[in-house]
Amino acid sequence: MAGKILPVLKLATKVTIAGGALYVAYDSGLLGGSEQGSKVIGKAKAAFPPAVDEWVKYFGFELPAFPKIGFAPVEAWNSGVHSSISALSSGPTAVGDYTNQGLQYLKDLAK
Amino acid sequence: MSEKELGKKLDRCLADSAVKLGAGLGLGIVFSVVFFKRHTWPVAFGLGMGLGMAYTNCQNDLRAPYLIQRNIKMAS
Repeated sequence: MAGKILPVLKLATKVTIAGGALYVAYDSGLLGGSEQGSKVIGKAKAAFPPAVDEWVKYFGFELPAFPKIGFAPVEAWNSGVHSSISALSSGPTAVGDYTNQGLQYLKDLAK
Repeated sequence: MSEKELGKKLDRCLADSAVKLGAGLGLGIVFSVVFFKRHTWPVAFGLGMGLGMAYTNCQNDLRAPYLIQRNIKMAS
């Protein structure tokens, strides 16, 4: 009797775990549209430091302070793209100018 | 669409792709461990599903020709 119940119980536990994970993912909006997805990232970022603090208090040791990075790659990306493309577009002109300057210098030396 | 709007849409796309890939990976790992004896293929399947969902969301977001633009201020 117990031998027959055990596999069924195992299967039921597995289905509960997997179904629960799927439900949590669905409920927190992980599987929804674009806006929901970006909101979830915002919520996770906001909830991360308090969670870390709680865990630190629970375990009773001090984590070293997270260094504040004053550089945000997200904001620098646009200006980076802009400068790279401007450099590329003015590249040929700049190369021509430098070549002319170099040739002029050599001519002056040869005089 | 304006450049600002396009930028916002692309940002949303990237964030959503990260979320979907993470969710797919997580669910793939759960299913692999629980049902499929720790094989790799459910993880790959989950990642693929996540990627597909992210792609479809991005596509719908960027191709939204029939949505009414909501930046018209209501006269108060």
